[in-house]
Amino acid sequence: MTDSNDKLDRAIELLKEPVELDPAIDVRVMNAIASEPRPNGWKRRLWFVLDWLLRGRSIRVSPLGGLALAAGVAVIVVYSRSLPIPSDDAAVSFAAEQSSAVQFVIVAPTASAVSLVGDFNDWDPDATPMQLVADNRVWTVTIPLNSGRYRYAFLVNGDTWLSDPSAPPVQDDEFGRPGSVVTIGET
Amino acid sequence: MGIEGVKGESDADLVGRVLAGESDCYSGLVARYRDRLGRYAMRMLGNSADAEDALQETFVRGYRSLARCTNPDRFGAWMFGILVNRCRTIGGQRARRHARVQNDEPALERASVAHSETRDALREEINWAIAQLSDTHREAFLLKHVEELSYEEMMELTGVKLSALKMRVARAREELRRLLSEANGD
Repeated sequence: MTDSNDKLDRAIELLKEPVELDPAIDVRVMNAIASEPRPNGWKRRLWFVLDWLLRGRSIRVSPLGGLALAAGVAVIVVYSRSLPIPSDDAAVSFAAEQSSAVQFVIVAPTASAVSLVGDFNDWDPDATPMQLVADNRVWTVTIPLNSGRYRYAFLVNGDTWLSDPSAPPVQDDEFGRPGSVVTIGET
Repeated sequence: MGIEGVKGESDADLVGRVLAGESDCYSGLVARYRDRLGRYAMRMLGNSADAEDALQETFVRGYRSLARCTNPDRFGAWMFGILVNRCRTIGGQRARRHARVQNDEPALERASVAHSETRDALREEINWAIAQLSDTHREAFLLKHVEELSYEEMMELTGVKLSALKMRVARAREELRRLLSEANGD
């Protein structure tokens, strides 16, 4: 056993040695990201859209009806009908033609703070705080989303990630955290 | 801005500059973590082509999602999490298929050849042995013994429970001992 342990220790030392990779990998990476949008660019554009959509306008949101308040935590997402965006406003020409007010709801009676994080806000914990309603049990927030597929999660008390058990789980998340998928518009 | 210009700056500083629009500063982060991430990818996937693909995809995904890096001081750990998942995906799709083809014959030959004490021969045996492990055992072994992560860090990266990680590491060690002994004809 001692001999085999020695071999294993020796193997580990060799596995720690540097490996030879393409010296141009740095260039390849930088070339690849050159075609990517700036990582914060979409966030800035989205907030511009949100500001425009929410300024002095009413957003129709479906009632929560049928909310089953099970013990612990449950999550419900409710969609509204599409909101038309005037096509003659050049300032928002990058927004999709159909935008839906989407209400996200989480039942978290013991939480002290909950925020919604997702592709739509660059997973910024501070971007979309949720409001406490309904007997101090239900947290909710409504945001406009253009047609598309979005990954999202709930961040409870700043450190606990929760997915939505009633929505499809994220299958391709590169971070290994729980998350769900919501698809707006065409599926 | 070249890499020289970012030496001495913290990860958080560089992340902040990239998010502020200085995309070129990302090259400093790439240079800083390329070797360590590349080593893991190479050991995990078993060939340089897949390892380089995983590495490039990891850096691109990291750039694309940089605003989600909520603790930029731990940018390296955050990237490692992305890489672990990329290796899982790529490994499932390609590397295992390639590895079987590459390893079957050499494995038989190597087991019957008198062992050479040269460093290259030992390295080949180790590469062969590590490739024989299951993906989950190899991942746990590399993270624990080669990357020297704590079990807490491993749980954070992999989402696997402590008891399962300990079991995987222990079984990987046992399997490697057996494989290395076989390769030496013990």
